[in-house]
Amino acid sequence: MDIILNLSFLERGIAAGLLIGFISPVIGAFLLVRRMTIISEGLSHVTLTGITAGVLVTQVAPWFNPLYAGFLFSLGGSLLIEKLRQVYRHFEELAIPIILSGGVGVSALLISLADTGYTEWYAYLFGSIITVTTADLGFIFLTGAAALIVILLFYKELVSISFDPEFASSSGIGVKKINFLFSVLTALVISMSMKVVGILLVGALIALPTAAAILFAKSFRQVLILGILFGEAAVVGGITASYYLNIATGGAIVVMGVLLLAAAFFVKKLQNLWNRSERKEHAA
Amino acid sequence: MIDVFFQYDFLRYSFYTSLMIGILAPLVGVFIVVRRLALLADTLSHITLTGIAFSMMMARYYPAFAAINPVYTGMGFAVAGSLMIEQLRKSYAYYKELAIPVILSAGIGIGVVFISLADGFTTDLFNYLFGSVAAVSRNDFTAVAVLTAVVSLLLLLFYKELFFLSFDEEQAVLSGIPARALHLMFIVITAVVIGISMQIVGILLVSALMTLPVAAAMRIAASFKQLFLFAVLFGELSVIAGMTAAFYADAAPGGMIVVINLLILGAVLSADRFLKRKEKPVWTSS
Repeated sequence: MDIILNLSFLERGIAAGLLIGFISPVIGAFLLVRRMTIISEGLSHVTLTGITAGVLVTQVAPWFNPLYAGFLFSLGGSLLIEKLRQVYRHFEELAIPIILSGGVGVSALLISLADTGYTEWYAYLFGSIITVTTADLGFIFLTGAAALIVILLFYKELVSISFDPEFASSSGIGVKKINFLFSVLTALVISMSMKVVGILLVGALIALPTAAAILFAKSFRQVLILGILFGEAAVVGGITASYYLNIATGGAIVVMGVLLLAAAFFVKKLQNLWNRSERKEHAA
Repeated sequence: MIDVFFQYDFLRYSFYTSLMIGILAPLVGVFIVVRRLALLADTLSHITLTGIAFSMMMARYYPAFAAINPVYTGMGFAVAGSLMIEQLRKSYAYYKELAIPVILSAGIGIGVVFISLADGFTTDLFNYLFGSVAAVSRNDFTAVAVLTAVVSLLLLLFYKELFFLSFDEEQAVLSGIPARALHLMFIVITAVVIGISMQIVGILLVSALMTLPVAAAMRIAASFKQLFLFAVLFGELSVIAGMTAAFYADAAPGGMIVVINLLILGAVLSADRFLKRKEKPVWTSS
């Protein structure tokens, strides 16, 4: 704990970024195979509602950390999405836009009532590496470790449910329980990431590295490993760029992720061309 | 209550604009929801932010650029973004649904970098994000009125084709409807409506006005026409009540409008539960 306390603000930010760059792509890989990547966008917008509600609470009770409210709202949001999917059985895809836009709407109202300066909200919306406090780093570290332990413990069940839910339930895995567990994990990762990359950009760290990894991976394990590599590269490159160019950290991290994805597409295209010409040589 | 909007010019223009938004957004929203493109609306509105940020940055470094209203740059970016989504959907043959989150998050990320290059983390940006009552000038209002007329006319003219495309795309293509051109027109219309609406409700809340009234109307309407009718009714109700409440409570108009939409949706859904109504079968015909 002493080490954490003695970190400078920049080191705290970098440590937080590295943790997030590791865990987000892991969640992203599971979301990808479940075809639910977009849920991260819905939940991150609900997290904003929780944060704004939390900030309102801090005006009465200053000891309260809005991140916890963000986590609770995000968890509630994921349960609500499930519920809405059942209500709109023929239009399941409506659930996420409803939650997403509803979440931002309520937060907009709360923000205008909270009477806090714009700067603080921008930090929540777009992330700010220099505002990571020791308590925040503790929160990120604890939630990250908890998420990682849960994933390791239930790895087999999670993989099995993600790829073949019917087989999983017939082989005696409690699908409902594991699904709930996964919702908690997603909510945790989103609320821990938002301090560094910002609410509006959390989804990027979940989607972009995975989107790049899937181009090369030949197995689920490779999606995980490559995703983490791309995620960490985006974080390290983004933080460095934001420091030297003096631009918003969250944005820089995401743009780095976009560049990596574009590079991945380029390499993939070269690979395809190479394979094709090789095949032609074989034929000739 | 409402008469305060007629005492001041700037309030009057925003009020008229919001009345038009209350019709336009749900109208387009019906097609969006029925075509299962609800997420596209969210994505386009987020990319509009990228466009606005881009013109903020350009205006800082090249003052000549400031003459162009950022809203138009935003619309242009939204159209370009939707074309990129189509392209990505082809690249990820097995994971088509990945295209939307990738473009959405890339759009905001790049937007944020533009904003920070423009030093634009100010009140202006906040108004773009969450809307403002005072954002509509007389010129804006004229532009909005013209665009509203054009969009409504297009929707009326191509109603049959869009309807056909929404419910049975394959059949529509077979019977010779130019689906691609129509889709592109539809995207442009959506981008324009987002551009118009964002001045009042804000970028982050535009899609709410497109999906929430429709989601509520779907539970009541017994035909496609009724779906339009109820959606527009809920849209207008939310806009008028939201603007009034926002003015008196000194809150963000966009947030108020969305919250009233949520209340309507909640009321409709709980009435459903009370009456044990199921989802209307009309909407399953695709």
